[in-house]
Amino acid sequence: MRTYELMFVVDPRVSDEDVVTMTQDYKNMITAGGSQITSEENWGRRKLAYPIEKLNEGKYVLLYVSSEIGKTALPEVEHRMRQNDKILRYLTVRTDEDLKRAARRPRPAAPATTVAPDGGEGAPEEEEV
Amino acid sequence: MSRPRKVFFRRRKVCKFCADKIDYIDYKDVKLLQQFIPERSKILPRRISGTCANHQRPLQQAIKRARHLALIPFTTD
Repeated sequence: MRTYELMFVVDPRVSDEDVVTMTQDYKNMITAGGSQITSEENWGRRKLAYPIEKLNEGKYVLLYVSSEIGKTALPEVEHRMRQNDKILRYLTVRTDEDLKRAARRPRPAAPATTVAPDGGEGAPEEEEV
Repeated sequence: MSRPRKVFFRRRKVCKFCADKIDYIDYKDVKLLQQFIPERSKILPRRISGTCANHQRPLQQAIKRARHLALIPFTTD
C-alpha cells in the first residue's frame, strides 16, 4: 500500500464551486484508476509567497491518496494538471516510506513515556516542582 | 589594569528535530520551516542551526517542496 499527497494551486479567479467540480474531476480520475481518496483538505484562498503568472493569491487543494502498488492514475492526473492553465502548481509526494521511517524512529521516546507514568505511580509523594 | 578575560559561553546547539522528536518533516508545516529560512530566504546551514545531518536532509527537501508550491519564498527582495 502506497500513500500519496497531491497538492495543487488553482487560479484564484476560478470560483469556489468550479474548484470543487475540478477537484471532483480529479478525484474521479484517481478512483477510476483504482486508488482511494483517504481524505481531502481545501485550504481556500491563500497568499502566494511569490507571484505566479502575475497572481498574488491561489486556492490550495490537498488530496490524500492511497493505492495498491502499480494501480494508480496519478501520472495521468499530473499530465492533465500540466495541461490545465487554471492550475498554477501541483505536487505529488509519496509519503508511505517517510511516514513508516518516522514511525519506526521514536525508540528514545518510547521508554521516556513509559517511565513517566511509572514514576508517577511509584512515588506519589514526589510532587512536581 | 588587566582586562577582564572574556569568557565565551557558547550555547550547545541541539538539533530541533531530535529535541522535539519531529520525525516527519512536512512541507506543509510553514511555521516550522520558517524557522529555518532567515531574512534572505535561504536555507539555514547546519553549522548555524545545529540541525543534525539526518534531519537537515529531509528539512531541505521539505523547504524545496514548499517553495515550489509558493508556500515559502525563494528569495526576498
